[in-house]
Amino acid sequence: MPETTKTPARAMRLGVAGPVGTGKSSLIALLCRALSDRLRMAVITNDIYTDEDARFLKSAGVLDPERIRPVETGACPHTAIRDDVTANLLAVEDMEADFDPLDLVVIESGGDNLTATFSPALVDAQLFVLDVAGGGDVVRKGGPGIARADLLIVNKTDLGPYVSVDVERMVREGSAAREGRPVIGLSRTDAASIDELVAWVLGMLDTHRSGDHTPIDPGPMAPHTHADGTTHSHTPGRASAAAGPGA
Amino acid sequence: MSTSSLLLALLGDARLPSGGHTQSAGLEPALRAGTTPAEVPAYLRARLRTVTRVEAGTAVVARAVAAEGGDLDAVEAAWAARTPSPALRANGRRLGRGYLRVLQTLWPGPTDDRARHWARPVVLGLLAHRADLCPVDLARLVGYDDAQTVTAALLKLEPGDPLQATAWVRDLLPDIDRMARQLAPLRTPDEIPSGGAPLIERWAQTHDTTTERLFSA
Ligand SMILES: Nc1nc2c(ncn2[C@@H]2O[C@H](COP(=O)(O)OP(=O)(O)O)[C@@H](O)[C@H]2O)c(=O)[nH]1
Ligand SMILES: [Mg+2]
Repeated sequence: MPETTKTPARAMRLGVAGPVGTGKSSLIALLCRALSDRLRMAVITNDIYTDEDARFLKSAGVLDPERIRPVETGACPHTAIRDDVTANLLAVEDMEADFDPLDLVVIESGGDNLTATFSPALVDAQLFVLDVAGGGDVVRKGGPGIARADLLIVNKTDLGPYVSVDVERMVREGSAAREGRPVIGLSRTDAASIDELVAWVLGMLDTHRSGDHTPIDPGPMAPHTHADGTTHSHTPGRASAAAGPGA
Repeated sequence: MSTSSLLLALLGDARLPSGGHTQSAGLEPALRAGTTPAEVPAYLRARLRTVTRVEAGTAVVARAVAAEGGDLDAVEAAWAARTPSPALRANGRRLGRGYLRVLQTLWPGPTDDRARHWARPVVLGLLAHRADLCPVDLARLVGYDDAQTVTAALLKLEPGDPLQATAWVRDLLPDIDRMARQLAPLRTPDEIPSGGAPLIERWAQTHDTTTERLFSA
């Protein structure tokens, strides 16, 4: 039985949320490639049905495979980052203990929908990833992640011309929806945009270490209107009650 | 005034943030090994007579030992001796850490350093002692939680009517209650039941190395 003699150092915990296919795993691979020689890193993935993300990252060869671990979410990826963060939190603690000291643990949410954001009980900072292929109007549709995550990523800007999206306008509208909180237009083919992302992460790490950063909660699902004309909001408890046991 | 029955509701609620949604109580590997959804009621009863009885008995004994300021490591060892699958032991200890977070946040108090390595029923016993959940309710909690874990996981794994799954749990309530009343008087580690379910243990081992899975165990 393992006995811990000292408490491992606490790493900064960075959440990466956003719909499936917007490029979360790819972005994490970019971060590992750019930062793993400067920072001691580990990655936790929350795949829905497979360990696909963990395997992708391991095969990308950007980080020691031991430092990439999948967590099962019981088909409830949103629960695992918000209503009940236990499994992820234990995985973070295990990483911190096994690779002590770590600077940064990145947690990829199992892509779910526009409303899933991380609880401040799990992460210190979070970014929310959209892509231009999802359409220029997604940023205007809003939601807690888009509006209030620490950083919004508009990914795959290289695809703009192919999907008739005005990338600059999308970034501008994102900034407006976020009342000035940062937005980065990112593409893996655009080195300057990767530098910008890396600089943001390093800056956040500095702020976090100096104790100046307070983890924010982008908030639960926004109030919304149903076809019958009623408007309501979901409190976390009632939302999960409606979704069934453990959902 | 005793709040034990409300505590039972609080702790038995699927919304308790202790990591329960990652569990299928062995159902995912059981289905993979050929168990059919129609056999789930039998699966539930088989667990209740074997592995769940061990869990519930361990929790009751841990509560009694904690109440007397005894050594919970001895209870943990008795549980481990009755849980042959290393995967199930590792999973039980992970769940124990989840309940330890609940305990330390909701009922804080001085806790042994070794508690981080205790299995779920041991931590639950300690929690029950601190929160004043009575022994029979504690055993009911373990039996009820196991049945709900299986049926909630079934809905994620196979098509089916959620109310049918709930009916199966309802049908099991008298059995859970009987088990709880039998186990409630237990006091010492050697009294913990030792029934085993070799197939459940073996499936758990297979599941541990399966990559495409919804649930941890
Ligand atoms: N064109 C383009 N494709 C990208 C970019 N980043 C990711 N992708 C592709 O988008 C798809 C989904 O990426 P992935 O990282 O798996 O998304 P996730 O589901 O959010 O983790 C993959 O086919 C990636 O190769 C990018 O900057 N430009
Ligand atoms: Mg991914």
